[in-house]
Amino acid sequence: MKAPDRQPMRRSVRGGRPYFFADPATDKILSMVVTLASEVWALRERVMAMEAIGAKRGTFKPGEVDAYEFAPALEQRLAAERQEFIASLFRVLEELVPKKSATRKNARKTAKKKR
Amino acid sequence: MLDLKHDLRLGKTRDEQARMNFVAGLRSHVLNDMANGMRAVYDAEVEPAFRRKAGRAPQDGPQVHQAIRPNEYFKFYSSLRVTAQDMVWQSVFPPLERQRADLKQKAKSLATRRKSGSLKLDANLPVPRSVSALDVHLMPGNYDGEYEKDDLAAGSLYDNGLAVFSFGLMGQNLDDIGQSISRFVKARYPGFKPQDVLDLGCTIGHNTGSWKDTYPAARVRGVDVAAPCLRYAHARAQAQDRAVDFEQMNATELKYPDASFDVVFSSMFLHEVPRKDITRVLAEAYRVLRPGGLMLHMELPPNAQLSPYDAFYLDWDSSYNNEPYYKPFRDLVPQQLCEQAGFSSANYVQFVVPSIAWFGEQAIANAVRAPGSVDSDKTGRLSDGLQWYCFGAWK
Repeated sequence: MKAPDRQPMRRSVRGGRPYFFADPATDKILSMVVTLASEVWALRERVMAMEAIGAKRGTFKPGEVDAYEFAPALEQRLAAERQEFIASLFRVLEELVPKKSATRKNARKTAKKKR
Repeated sequence: MLDLKHDLRLGKTRDEQARMNFVAGLRSHVLNDMANGMRAVYDAEVEPAFRRKAGRAPQDGPQVHQAIRPNEYFKFYSSLRVTAQDMVWQSVFPPLERQRADLKQKAKSLATRRKSGSLKLDANLPVPRSVSALDVHLMPGNYDGEYEKDDLAAGSLYDNGLAVFSFGLMGQNLDDIGQSISRFVKARYPGFKPQDVLDLGCTIGHNTGSWKDTYPAARVRGVDVAAPCLRYAHARAQAQDRAVDFEQMNATELKYPDASFDVVFSSMFLHEVPRKDITRVLAEAYRVLRPGGLMLHMELPPNAQLSPYDAFYLDWDSSYNNEPYYKPFRDLVPQQLCEQAGFSSANYVQFVVPSIAWFGEQAIANAVRAPGSVDSDKTGRLSDGLQWYCFGAWK
């Protein structure tokens, strides 16, 4: 018997989440703020780790980080991660999008084919 | 934050670990600092306003809930708590999705590496709708979600999520309930030497293995309806070298003969079970217990034994954390449930046991002499200084 393919795990909650403010938009904005705070915190931990490593190796010089320019490959990677970051920040809004139109990429592909 | 120590733990990047740290910290802030803040707001504003209007204080949890609902602090507390709950699971998905194949491989090799425990699944067992139709604790996919053949990802999601969720309060191995309660039983009843122990609704077996630690000579078994959790439970027990047998079974209909066990235990289980099934679970517990055996359920304390505010505080999960059976269970009277199942009222027991992870080993011995009180605001509540409530009966 052929094993079924691995499906990605479902990440949204059946039935959605409860809201508390008169306008559910307030709960959603709060969720965005907290997600942002989480990313800010992740950055702080990362910077602290890098500074500790840099100091240990004696590789950092004053002003070096400020003057640094990213190589194109790293620039590209950052751009992709930036989009993922922004998407995760506004993930709570995606729950408002009906399932059919949720796969906008596919919709675009189909539109192209028609043309 | 707590980091799981066993072989199935997920590898995390620096950023993934930092996000988990943040969510654990956020939960500690909401459940300690903001919980205290909300109580202060209730005492200073909500309760006096209720008194002015009604001429008396709120008499039960629902009245407190009704009164506090429009309060802004309650709204921020609740909205942040729901957001944090969501973030618990979301923080696990990226590393878990990346390592699913690896996890499955590890489980496979663990199963053959040591021959101590066992796993018996029943593909024909119907999963009750209280599990299959709900995402309990807002966990996407719930305990039984499967995404490939022989899947155990739901177990990993629960284990790693619980590590974030508990912000250290459930012990390094998430087994504080099992460790605290089994050791309390041993200290309280030194002549009791159980040979067979059963854990009902054991999920990933995190509290099942504790009974093996406390009573190494006993055969310890765990049952649950969710196959992915049991697969994970088996691998997790193997990784920790604990000989536990896991079987896919519904606690309402155990396949064991009468008088098979000396201890029938459960933790945080009955409050996830519909009312009609609770009666069946307890009747089954009575049936499979040997005379002289002990049934013991770790649970949230019953509403009748709590102040109206504390009843409201614990019922929050029932209203907002996808646990529809939680409040109805806590409205029941445990002693009556035991009697209805066939236990004599003279043999009813209930204990409040200090958390070993929080208070240390000595506190268990002290609690045997001076048990904790049910109506303390630390009982059953995930916050600093927590203690566990349990009830049951001797057969």
